Amino acid sequence: MNVDLSLLNPEIAISILGLAVLVLGLIIPKESRHGLGWLTALGLLGVLGLTISGWNNQGTLYHGMFIVDQYAIFFKITFLTAAFLVTLGSMRFVDDMGDQSEYYSMMLFATLGMMVLASAGDFITLYLGLELMTIAFIVLVCFKRLDGKSVEAGMKYVLLAGMSSAVLLYGLSLIYGVTGSVTISEVGRAVAVTPVPALILGLVMLVAGLGFKISAVPFHMWAPDIYEGAPTPVTSYLAVGSKAASFAILLRVFVAALPGIWANWTMLVAVLSAITIIVGNLVAIPQTNIKRLLAYSSIAQAGYILVGLVTASEQGIKGVMFYAFLYVFATIGAFTVATYFYNVTGSDEIKDYAGLSQRSPLMAVVMLICMLSMAGIPPLAGFVGKFYLFKTIVDNYLWLAFIGLIMSMVSVYYYLRVALVMYRDEPLDNSPINLSTPVAVTLIIAMVATLFIGIYPGPLSQVINMAAHSFFMH
Amino acid sequence: MLSPWGAVFIFLAVGIVFGAGGIATSFLVHPRRQYASKYEPYECGMETIGPTWVQFKTSYFLYALLFVIFDVETIYLYPWAVKFQSLGLFAFIEMLVFIFILVVGLWYAWKEGALEWM
Repeated sequence: MNVDLSLLNPEIAISILGLAVLVLGLIIPKESRHGLGWLTALGLLGVLGLTISGWNNQGTLYHGMFIVDQYAIFFKITFLTAAFLVTLGSMRFVDDMGDQSEYYSMMLFATLGMMVLASAGDFITLYLGLELMTIAFIVLVCFKRLDGKSVEAGMKYVLLAGMSSAVLLYGLSLIYGVTGSVTISEVGRAVAVTPVPALILGLVMLVAGLGFKISAVPFHMWAPDIYEGAPTPVTSYLAVGSKAASFAILLRVFVAALPGIWANWTMLVAVLSAITIIVGNLVAIPQTNIKRLLAYSSIAQAGYILVGLVTASEQGIKGVMFYAFLYVFATIGAFTVATYFYNVTGSDEIKDYAGLSQRSPLMAVVMLICMLSMAGIPPLAGFVGKFYLFKTIVDNYLWLAFIGLIMSMVSVYYYLRVALVMYRDEPLDNSPINLSTPVAVTLIIAMVATLFIGIYPGPLSQVINMAAHSFFMH
Repeated sequence: MLSPWGAVFIFLAVGIVFGAGGIATSFLVHPRRQYASKYEPYECGMETIGPTWVQFKTSYFLYALLFVIFDVETIYLYPWAVKFQSLGLFAFIEMLVFIFILVVGLWYAWKEGALEWM
């Protein structure tokens, strides 16, 4: 058997990086472990370059178990960008927590899990990637061992992730039972011939299992508690990476394996998307903690992204990819501000953000731009993303587009409430907040990317067109 | 004639009746007498001596975890060893990489003191 291992370059590189960080942590003394953050960040940048350079190197491995197409590569670029920005923005936070080598290696293994997930060509690889990602995240969520909230969040995540995995596996086994194959492309062919009740049951369980990962209502209950309890950089990576990876595999399974019974799930997904948008946005309004606010807002964002799945078309996939990519910058920007603010003041309460525009103009402006982008205000990236998503459904699902539009307007209210506190209120403590260089760089990257994609989406849009097209090639 | 899914349905129905039926019958016929020992967590067991919140050493758990890792490794080594002749050098190197990753894990556990009995 001839295996083209060059297709696996990014995965191999990131495994080596993860192991190296773990081993270096054992060898070098505790005081000099600050460098591990820089090693991780630079390593991630290297892997990112490697992944981009393999853009035209497409193919499948191990009899279709592992698919490397531009669709998968694009998602890998998304995860690596997110991991890089999170690492860059959270070095001081991690130094305060200690155990740098464990933290960074877990981060890298979670990224590896996501990359495997994006390339999964059969249910076994899917499950492998999903569990690698989830287990790494469980460790990361309860990383502040001595903080009761963090441990509680970790415990909740273990139990709920276990349950969602069980439901997902049951769904996959039913699909396997009906179609007689675990390979996604073969399932796709078999499903076209035989729609039976057990398949529908499997489909519903699949929606529930993956719905948990993307925190779609009614499977969202875990998200606010765990987002609030976990260390803030972990929360931002959980909100971005875990969600983007789950969307990658959700699209792969539904559009490539289950298009034969499209008529059975399109309405289900549309309704799920609608209630996710409504509940996420409405419950975000009364929140007083910035992490809980961002958690509910990220639930609402998941609802918007689900819209792209409704039509199961190339345009829909393009919308999902575009939104997932820009969502990385907006979310990490907002969470990095929250992380740094917590480092300085020890608070996550929105009322403590009073007068942030005077204490640190950069932090305030990045928070404002990221939040307005999530709300979908025109010159910013979020508007273009929502435009691509909702464009696909205006013909057949006008009601869903209306819900999305109205709820976007509602979301402006709670985003601007934070802005109001930052810009209008007088600060209780006048001392300016000095940003460390890596954090400032992260914030500026997030802000510039959000502005640039919003003003000039052309090049990214073309790249995503190619990637979405490659999805249907095999 | 019964379709294949009919059989599944009958299986499901019988399963539900079997489970729910037992509870329902017991509910209908059981004697209703209340006294103190009815409210014990385990009516038919021994009375507990001392506090019930006994703590176990986590070292047990760490040992078990390390054991399982190398136990599972054997499962993967076995088919490779059987087919060793025909698989050749590539599989040999692959296996070395696999074992290396596990050894790094063991090293880590050792260094962090998982093997010390405190």
